[in-house]
Amino acid sequence: MADLIQLILSGVALGMIYALLAFGYSITFSTSRTINFAQGEFLMLGALTGLTVDVRLHLGYVMAVAAAAGIGAVLGVVLERVAIRPALRTGSTVAWVLATVALGIVARNAAERIWGTDDSPFPAPLSSEPMRLGPIRVLPQEVLIIGIAGLIMIAVEIFRRRSIWGKAVTAVAADNEAAALAGINVPVTITASFVISSAIAAVSGVLVAPLTLAGPTMGTLLSTKAYAVAIVGGLQSGIGVIVGGLLIGLCEQFTARYISTGYKDTPGFILLILILLIKPAGIFGKRSIKKV
Amino acid sequence: MASLVALAGAVGVLGCAKQQEGGGTAANGGPAIKIGVYGPFTGGSSPMGLSMRDGVRLAADEINARGGVLGRKIELVERDDQATNERGAQVMQDLISNQKVVAVLGPINTGVALASYMYPMAAKVPLLINVSAGAPVNELFKDNPDNYVFRIAASDNIQAEMIIAEAVDKHGFKKVAFLCDDTNYGQNGCKKMNAAIASRGSKPIYEGKFKIKDTDMTPQLQQARAAGAEALLVYGIGPELAQIANGMQKLGYKVPMIGSWTLSMSNFIDAAKENGNGAAMPQTFIQNGASSEKAKKFIADYQKKYSVDRIPSAVSAAQGYDSTYLIAAAIEQAGSTDGPKVKAALESLQKPYDGVIASFDKPYGATDHEAIHKDKVVMGVVMNGQVQPPSATGASAPSSPGSPAPAPKQ
Repeated sequence: MADLIQLILSGVALGMIYALLAFGYSITFSTSRTINFAQGEFLMLGALTGLTVDVRLHLGYVMAVAAAAGIGAVLGVVLERVAIRPALRTGSTVAWVLATVALGIVARNAAERIWGTDDSPFPAPLSSEPMRLGPIRVLPQEVLIIGIAGLIMIAVEIFRRRSIWGKAVTAVAADNEAAALAGINVPVTITASFVISSAIAAVSGVLVAPLTLAGPTMGTLLSTKAYAVAIVGGLQSGIGVIVGGLLIGLCEQFTARYISTGYKDTPGFILLILILLIKPAGIFGKRSIKKV
Repeated sequence: MASLVALAGAVGVLGCAKQQEGGGTAANGGPAIKIGVYGPFTGGSSPMGLSMRDGVRLAADEINARGGVLGRKIELVERDDQATNERGAQVMQDLISNQKVVAVLGPINTGVALASYMYPMAAKVPLLINVSAGAPVNELFKDNPDNYVFRIAASDNIQAEMIIAEAVDKHGFKKVAFLCDDTNYGQNGCKKMNAAIASRGSKPIYEGKFKIKDTDMTPQLQQARAAGAEALLVYGIGPELAQIANGMQKLGYKVPMIGSWTLSMSNFIDAAKENGNGAAMPQTFIQNGASSEKAKKFIADYQKKYSVDRIPSAVSAAQGYDSTYLIAAAIEQAGSTDGPKVKAALESLQKPYDGVIASFDKPYGATDHEAIHKDKVVMGVVMNGQVQPPSATGASAPSSPGSPAPAPKQ
């Protein structure tokens, strides 16, 4: 029993990491129908910037989070200007996909130049001694990840549903021409969505690094998994990505524990294929009707 | 005034000519001898790749400072294989076909070696593997009687045998679990450990896999614990091995960890911190255990040249360094850069080479292309951020702090 709860906890922690990145995908998708394929690299840049601020400059973990959020926001603006806006103007889908992928490669190579190619440990802000709840042991950092990821997602959802800005985002998502006619500044709304999404990615980097190590390649696998999570949960749904994240996180851990460690990733991706076949908009996604 | 300008100009021209000489062509012996170097200079394997490359560079610079080989300078052609098999095949073809190198040093990763060894074999260019433990070397003779692949590293055959000997023979563990990564390296290691333990009439109680970049080892460790494993025998690279050590600490599962030589990598030691203490692994070279003058000088030179205190992967650096000298000695003896002649010279090196790892007297033969045999390998133990020599076996080594023979217990 204790083993089971232990396994569920580690699956949830893993799932929340995926969900947080997937959440970033869903934010930009809802305003511009585009996804930042450099999200994993932004996560990595956030983590490495945080590492410099925390370890080299001795400014502490909170400043590391702030610095990551800052660099993420700046990267979001750059990405939107350089990769997304020109593509949206010409109406080309291929262009933004390739442009964001290309920016990701540039970011990774830049990080290798600046920080070197090795994976470095990121000191945990809380104790690295596990907390004990009877026979169950949890790392404080895992609790922090679950907590902060939850808070970020709740905050963004409230913002999206309650504030006037959030309503603007929803309006742009629904119909950006009508939104523009109603006086909403569509380009600014799209830029803002990239700023938020990239800042979340960068902050997640600082959150996960104490568990995963920080290095130029740390984001690659995470962003692929997060993409699967976003598809499974539904790209347009905030709740969907959380459910998708937990589903895939738990799937991985349970398969590794009870079936075979070699097939760990298989069920998650089988799920992905099934969802694409049966409900392409994702478990929680609404089917979008594309008008011609 | 004009003469002064002319003089400055002349000096300038001379300076240029001199520089060119150092960079590519030598005046007396003809063009530089190109030697290919490939390994992972990025990613999780990079401590090994970069240390190997830096060791090679150090040796090449020394050789060139002494006047080179056959009166010609050595020119290194370095390529990053990114630890991926396809990339390894590409860079090898580039080295052989485009760069026309005389010999190749590297690689680190078993998969890369498997994907690329056939090109030098076909082109009759010696490949001196200086880190990869899992690559086939003597096994290749069966299909390639004219074998161009050599190694200066402890092969997985030796390592797996030593790991099992440490766990089963020395500590008397009855129940051991294997945890190996799912690359060619890890799986090959697992296979060799299985063979070694089978020869003792036993088998692992649990066999688990993990992937590169896996960060959570809870399922694997739970299964090992549920099976009642008394020790974890691991095969992988630094970052993931550190996740195993950290996962054990998280789950409160304390058993000895014994595994591949990669437990000595800086990224294992740094990421596992105190959780890595006691991890034991086969080593050909231990920075803290260096006893010969040659080894001490090598460490001092490395530290000075690259401004580091601890060599990220001392084994890779030392093997890289020695491999360069061996290939240089073979070219010198062959009196030519012709592949078959260099190969023949490697197989019958006349002059003993006093290396960093050990003294090599006729390291290779016509049917044995392994320079490292069991007598040149010892078990090292991670202790407080360093790999320490086992005081029990390394009599000449400086004693490690604390108890005389640190048993691999957490």
